[in-house]
Amino acid sequence: MSVTVPMTATRSAVDAMLQVEGITHVYGQGATAHRAIENLSFTVGPREFVSIVGPSGAGKTTLLRILSGLLTPTEGTVSLVGEPVDGVPEGMAMVFQDYSRSLLPWLSIEKNVMFPLTRTEAGRDERRRIARESLEAVGLADRHDRYPWQLSGGMQQRVAIARALAYRPRLLLMDEPFASVDAQTRSDLEDLVLSLRDRYDMTILFVTHDIDESVYLADRVLVLSRPPAHLVEEIPVPIPHPRDQITTKETDEFVDLRGRVARLIRSGGQPDGGGSR
Amino acid sequence: MTTTEIRTTDAANPGPAAPGKGGLRGTARLSKRLAVDFGALVVLVALWQLATSAATTPFFPTPLEIVENFGKMFFTGPPEHLFLTDAATGDVFASLWRMLLGYAIGCAWGIIVGTLLGRSRAAREYTDPVVELLRSIPATASLPLFILVLGGGDFMRVAFIAWGVSWFVLINTASGVASIHATMLAMGRAFRVSRVRQLFGIILPAAMPKILAGMRIGLTAALILVVTSEFMVATNGIGFQLIQAQRRFQVLDMWTWMLLLAVLGYLLNTILEVTEGRLLAWHRKARD
Ligand SMILES: Nc1ncnc2c1ncn2[C@@H]1O[C@H](COP(=O)(O)OP(=O)(O)O)[C@@H](O)[C@H]1O
Ligand SMILES: [Mg+2]
Repeated sequence: MSVTVPMTATRSAVDAMLQVEGITHVYGQGATAHRAIENLSFTVGPREFVSIVGPSGAGKTTLLRILSGLLTPTEGTVSLVGEPVDGVPEGMAMVFQDYSRSLLPWLSIEKNVMFPLTRTEAGRDERRRIARESLEAVGLADRHDRYPWQLSGGMQQRVAIARALAYRPRLLLMDEPFASVDAQTRSDLEDLVLSLRDRYDMTILFVTHDIDESVYLADRVLVLSRPPAHLVEEIPVPIPHPRDQITTKETDEFVDLRGRVARLIRSGGQPDGGGSR
Repeated sequence: MTTTEIRTTDAANPGPAAPGKGGLRGTARLSKRLAVDFGALVVLVALWQLATSAATTPFFPTPLEIVENFGKMFFTGPPEHLFLTDAATGDVFASLWRMLLGYAIGCAWGIIVGTLLGRSRAAREYTDPVVELLRSIPATASLPLFILVLGGGDFMRVAFIAWGVSWFVLINTASGVASIHATMLAMGRAFRVSRVRQLFGIILPAAMPKILAGMRIGLTAALILVVTSEFMVATNGIGFQLIQAQRRFQVLDMWTWMLLLAVLGYLLNTILEVTEGRLLAWHRKARD
């Protein structure tokens, strides 16, 4: 590794938004230690949409926590635009898997969306305008004065997304953001995220355990193994944009890719799995 | 004393986050509650009046006599003092002042230390035995020590009240802060919210239901403690007057001071409950 680091580091300064190098994470110590991630490396380019799929408990949330600087990995490094991540970097926003716990119940949803914006230059009116715009983008503008607990799970999730958008991140990390919404809302939110990526020029890392979703959204799918998570395969998704919930999913290309991802997940990263051709 | 005891134990078990007696739901709810409270009270007082007028013991004057004396003792002063008597301005205000200052200091201290402890599991585990031991000493039992060390003045009384109050607030705050969900805290860090704003915008509001539950028990404690502290080496205050009245066999005065304490306790508690109802509207509704 000591040989490859300088080389890739140079490369990363040029064309990588996010660079993950040999990450290993172990929770706890001694007999109860749990290896969540094992020697994981990958690179994400600017404005790329990368899905991360893997079985439940694989270490996906752990990975995002490391990428966001909330958790220091046992080994390995993360760099954002060439800079090593040490603590939470600027320009990064997160949509938590546990979205309802991430909203502040004593604030209206507009205030929730405004909450992280105090450090920006914007004055109060400007912050409110940005918050309204983001709520508008997720279709909640007319409920700006509601409180999180007055909203359904899907709406709360949209508030969490609006909060992340209002923050204007370069890098958006989303941890199974649509896990608890009904199918129709889910499709709507998927298309919403795709359109917002274009509108706000974001790089998105999207964790999901839904195979269709991972392929539909992404430019590239990273398949993680059973724990301890390592990279089983990176699958590029060369399906052109704009994508459509019905027609895109009917194409041979989509069906083929989805099958590949599914086989890789089922094999759990074992080399004898029927996935790789 | 017995009623206070019952309230203390009731509030000492705040459960997940005790809202004030179900909390208040706007003025409609307040007036309804007042009607219920006072309805029962009227019946009780009527029975008490019957019993005491039938009995001949000098130790139990009738409620009417007490109320009459209450007016005479506190509200027959000169008009320029808003009809307040010297007893009202001197003794009552002296006690109130000590109590509120001690209460404020105790709450501030309890919230500060409780927040620090709540933030650090290591600190909690380390200090837990000491905290458990110290808070198990009934605050009243430490009064002789306070007098010995700090003398018999107001400073001692304020410190004594603050000490007693702080434990309730400290323990509730620590448990409230410690039980904030990790994701909520991670949100603050992930969005690079300043530390000050993490404290005032996330940690304290999230722990507020528990902090206020502690402050409610603390308020009851403060009233007990101020009176107790005035039983010894005092020259004024409600507790002092109570003891004086007892020594001089002024039974009616004694009862009058007790009535005053009941009224004060009720008023203060109501003020806090209304404040709590305002501050924690989100909490109550979120749970419904
Ligand atoms: N704070 C923690 N301490 C110990 N083990 C943890 C902790 N967080 C997660 N784990 C364990 O690490 C593994 C991966 O968890 P996680 O990253 O949440 O997986 P995923 O998001 O893929 O479902 C799980 O077995 C989980 O129990
Ligand atoms: Mg997860």
